[in-house]
Amino acid sequence: MPGTPALARRAILGVYALIIVVPLLVVVLGAFKSRRQLVDSPLGVPTSPTADNLTRVLSTQSMGDAFLNSVIVTGVAVLVSLFLSSLAAFGLARIRGRWGWVVFAFLVAGLAVPAQTAIVPQYVLWRQLGLLNSLTGLVIAEVVVTLPVAVFILTGFMRTLPPELFEAASIDGASPWRTYRSVVLPLSRPSLAAAAIFLFVITWNDLLYPLLFVSTPDKRTLPLVLLGFKGEFLTDYPVLFTGVLIASAPLVVIYVFLQRYFVAGLTAGSSR
Amino acid sequence: MSSTRGPARRRWPGLRRDAPYLWFVLPAVVLYGYFFALPVLQAFQYALTDWDGVSPDYDMVGLDNLTRAVSDDSLFTNALTNNLTFLLTVVVVQTLVSLLLAVLLVRNSRSSTFLRALYFVPAILSSVSVAFIWSFIYEPGDGLLNQAWSAIGLDGMRSSYLGEPGMAIVYVGLVQAWAHIGQLMIIFIAGLQQIPGELYEAADLDGAGRWGRFRHVTWPLIAPATAIVVSYTTIQSFKAFDLILGMSGNPPSRSLDILSTRLYTTYSDSELGYAAAQSILFMVIIAAVTVLQRRALRLTRQEG
Amino acid sequence: MHLVSRGSSTRVPASPTLGRRGFVQLLGAAGAVSLAGCAGPGSDDPGRQSTAASLDADASGDVIFSHWRAEDQSVFDELLARFAETYPDVELTQDIAPSADYQASALQRLRNGDSGDAFSTFRGAQFNAFAEAGVYSDLGDLDLVGSYPDELATIGQSDGKQLAVPYQVVFLDPVVNLDLLEKAGVSEIPTDWDGYLAMLDALRGTGAVPFGWPGGDTGNLGQLVNTMVMNNAPAEDMFTQVGAGELKLTDDWFVTTLRQYAELAPYMQEGVRGTLHDSLLQQFAQGEVAIIASGSYAIAPSRAAGAEFPMDLAPPVTVAAGEARYVGVHNATFLLGVNAASENQEAAVAWVDFLSQPENAAVYANSTAQHVGVEGVTYENADLKRLERWLTADTLLAPRFQLLDLDVQAAVDQSTVAVVGGTSPEQAAEEAQAIVDQQIG
Repeated sequence: MPGTPALARRAILGVYALIIVVPLLVVVLGAFKSRRQLVDSPLGVPTSPTADNLTRVLSTQSMGDAFLNSVIVTGVAVLVSLFLSSLAAFGLARIRGRWGWVVFAFLVAGLAVPAQTAIVPQYVLWRQLGLLNSLTGLVIAEVVVTLPVAVFILTGFMRTLPPELFEAASIDGASPWRTYRSVVLPLSRPSLAAAAIFLFVITWNDLLYPLLFVSTPDKRTLPLVLLGFKGEFLTDYPVLFTGVLIASAPLVVIYVFLQRYFVAGLTAGSSR
Repeated sequence: MSSTRGPARRRWPGLRRDAPYLWFVLPAVVLYGYFFALPVLQAFQYALTDWDGVSPDYDMVGLDNLTRAVSDDSLFTNALTNNLTFLLTVVVVQTLVSLLLAVLLVRNSRSSTFLRALYFVPAILSSVSVAFIWSFIYEPGDGLLNQAWSAIGLDGMRSSYLGEPGMAIVYVGLVQAWAHIGQLMIIFIAGLQQIPGELYEAADLDGAGRWGRFRHVTWPLIAPATAIVVSYTTIQSFKAFDLILGMSGNPPSRSLDILSTRLYTTYSDSELGYAAAQSILFMVIIAAVTVLQRRALRLTRQEG
Repeated sequence: MHLVSRGSSTRVPASPTLGRRGFVQLLGAAGAVSLAGCAGPGSDDPGRQSTAASLDADASGDVIFSHWRAEDQSVFDELLARFAETYPDVELTQDIAPSADYQASALQRLRNGDSGDAFSTFRGAQFNAFAEAGVYSDLGDLDLVGSYPDELATIGQSDGKQLAVPYQVVFLDPVVNLDLLEKAGVSEIPTDWDGYLAMLDALRGTGAVPFGWPGGDTGNLGQLVNTMVMNNAPAEDMFTQVGAGELKLTDDWFVTTLRQYAELAPYMQEGVRGTLHDSLLQQFAQGEVAIIASGSYAIAPSRAAGAEFPMDLAPPVTVAAGEARYVGVHNATFLLGVNAASENQEAAVAWVDFLSQPENAAVYANSTAQHVGVEGVTYENADLKRLERWLTADTLLAPRFQLLDLDVQAAVDQSTVAVVGGTSPEQAAEEAQAIVDQQIG
C-alpha cells in the first residue's frame, strides 16, 4: 500500500490505542497514588507509590468475602447454566416437531425482555421462597438470566452438527443421554468454552441482582461492594480505582490466557 | 419406513420420536418458566395495581398507571427521550468506529492481532468500573479530559461534560461505545473475513478505488454483521443501568435519566405497581425499536 | 486468531423473527397461567415487637447493625471492639449497604428481618416510610432517649412515639476558608444578602473561586437549597407544604430563591454543573476555592486532603439585615433505631444504648470529626470545637428532607442547576412545579 493511506491507518489505530490505554493506565497507576498525586499528574508514574489504598480496600470493605462470593456464584451459575442449556440445545437440535420451535422461541424470547421487567415480581417470589440474601438465590437469578443466551449460542452450534452423527450413534444403540454425553459434549467443547466465557463475564459483572437480592455483607459480590465505595458524601478515586483493579483482575488474567475463547464467546453471545 | 410418512405424520412428525428429547429441554424450561417467565407475566398483573410493595392490600387501578406514564409523566417522557438519544449515539458511534477499525485490522498479522486484543479489553470490565473511570475523566475541575485540553492549548474545548444538559447523555453514550467497540469490531472482522477475495479482484478490474471497493463489495456483504451489531447495541443501550447508576447515582440527574434508571427510581419510591407498568412500556419500546431497526436495515440491504 | 464460529454468525438473521413471534405467542398463551398461578402483590407479615426490649446487661447472640456509612466503618469497628468488652456474649457485625441503594432496599429487607437488628435511617422520607411500615420498635421507655436534647429527639418521633434517635449532627451550610476570608479583608461573615455578595466579590480578589458548588453531584448539590430557603420561605415546613400542594415552587419565595442562585452563579467555578463534590473538596483543600457549598461534613476530608487553614460555616442569609429568622441549618444525618422484627432486640438495644453514652459518642464524634446528637460530649477535635457554638445557635432543621418523593426532591435540585446554567428562574420554577404536580397529582 502506498504512503498516505498506510500512514492514515497507523494514525487512526494509534490514536484509538491511546483512547483505550490512557483511561486504563490512569486506573492502574492511580491505584498506587494519593488523591493529590492523582490530580496533579493522572498519567505520571507514582513518585512515591503507596500501598495505602490497597490496604484500605482489603482491610475495610469485606473485599475477601465479596471475592469469594463472586467466585462461588459465578462458578456455580455458569456450570449450571451451561449444563441446562447444553441439554436443552441438544434436545432442540434433535426435536423435529413444531414444539421444538415453540420451546426454542420461549427460551430465547428472554433475550428481548429486559431483566428489569421481572424484578418486582421476582423480588416477591424470592422472598416467598426464602431465597433473598442467599448465594443460592443469586445463583438461580444468574442462571435464569443467562439461560437464553446460552441456549441461543449452543443451539446454534448443535444445529450445525451433521445429522448423520446422531443417526450413527442411535444405530449403534446409544441412548439419547449417551449420545449427548459421549458424542455431542466432546464435539461441542469449543462452543461450550465460548459460551462459558460469555456467561462468566455477564455473571461476574452483574450488579442488578446482587443489588436487589442481597443485604448482608457476607453475601455481597464484587460489583456491589465496588458501588459501595462511593460513600454517601465522599468519593476517593484512588480507592475506587484499587477496587476496580481487584474486581477486574480475574477476568483480565483469564483474558490473557484464554483470549481466543473470550473473543469467540463474547462475539457469539452478542450475535443474537 | 416409507409407510409411516403419511401426510398427517408429516404435520406432526413423531411425538414418539421426539419424546425422549423433550426430557432434555424440560429442566431449562421449568426453571426459566418459573423464575423468569412467570414473574414477567406477573408484572402485567402488578401494573394494574397501586401496590407500594409494603402494604398488605392495594387497589386495582386498571390502566391508570399506563396512561400516567404515557401522557402525564414528563419524567418518563424525558427518560425515553434521553434513552433514544443515547441509543442513537451509541449505535452510530459504535457501528462506525468498530467498522472502521475492523476494515483496518482485517488482515491477520502480528500487530493486527495485538491491537484487536487491546481494543477488546474494555469489554471485559464491569459497567460499574467503567462508570468510575469515566466519572474521573469527565470531571470538569481536575478531570483528565479538561486537563488534557488545557495541556495541548485547546482551552476552548473544556466542558462540564455530564453537566451539559443537552449533551450529557451523549457523553455517556461515548463511554458505552468505548466499552463495546472492540467487541463489535470482532464481529465485523469475522464478517469481513468471509468475503471472498475474488470479489475484490473483480472490483479492482473494474477500476474501483478504495471507496468503490468498500461501497460495492464490503458494505453489501457486511450487512448481516451490521444487523447483529446494531441489534446487540440496541439491547445494550437499554440495559445501561449500571453505567448510569455508577456515574450519577439514584435518581440520576435529569439529563442522564434513562428508562431503566427511571424504573428503578419509581421502584425506590415504593410505587411498585407504577414501576411494573413502566417496565411493560419499557419492554414494548424495546420491541418497537428493534422491529423498526430490522425494517430499516432490510431496506438498506435491498438498496445495496 | 479464530474469531467467531461461522455457525452462530450466519444463523443470526433468521433468529430474530423466531424470537419476536415466539414472544408474542408466549404472552398470549401464558396469560391464563399467570392469573391462575400466582399469589400477586401484597406481603406477608413476619412477627414483630412494637415496643423495644428493655436494656439487658446479659444480652447475647448475633446482631447486625446495618447502615450505609462506608466512611464510618473503621470508627464503628473501634466502637464494636469496646462494645465487645461490655457485652462479651454479643456477636455484632456491621452491614454496610451502598448509600445509593439504602433507600431502595433497606425497607424491604428490614421488614423481613433479613438484616439490621439495629439500623440507621435517613431522616425525612426514609424515616417516615419506615415508621409507617412499622419497622421500628418504640424506644420511648428506654434511658438512652434521655441522652438526646428534646428539640433533636423530635426528629425521631412519629405519632408521639420515639422510634429512633438522631445520632450524627451536621450543618448543611457552606464552609469557608478563613485565611482567604481574612486575605479578602472580611472580618465577619455577613448576615444579609448584599453583604454576602459583597463578601464573594472581595473573595474574588484573592484569586480563588469565591463560591464552589458541586452542581454535578446529585448526592450533594441539594444541600445548598436548605440555607437558601431558610429565610425566604413563608413557613418552616415549606417543603412539606410543597409536597402537599399547599405551597408552589412558582410562588414568590421560591422564585426569589432561584433568582438568588442566579446571582451566585458568577461566583461559582468553571464547569459547575458537572462538578463532583470530591473534586471540589480537593480544590477547597488547596485554597483554590474559598467556599465549598455542601456542609460541615466536608471539613474532615478537607483536612485529610491537606487543608491546614481554619474554617467556619458561611451560611448565605438571603434577606436584608435584621430580617433573618435563622442563621444556618442543621441536620441529623442519620437516626438509630431498633428493628421490630429483630429476633435479638436485647442485643440491638444494648448497642444503641452503648452508642448513646457520651463517652462512646465522643469517640464517634472525634474520630469522624462530626458532631453528635448526644448531649454532654466533649469535643477534642479543633474543628468540632470551633463549630460547637452552632449547636446552640438559631439554626433550622434542614428543610430539604421534607421532600419525601425522590422525584420531587430531584425536581427542586434540578431547578437550581438549571438556573445556574442560565435558565430563567421563572421558567425553572414552572418546570419544577410541573413535575411536583405530576407526582402528587
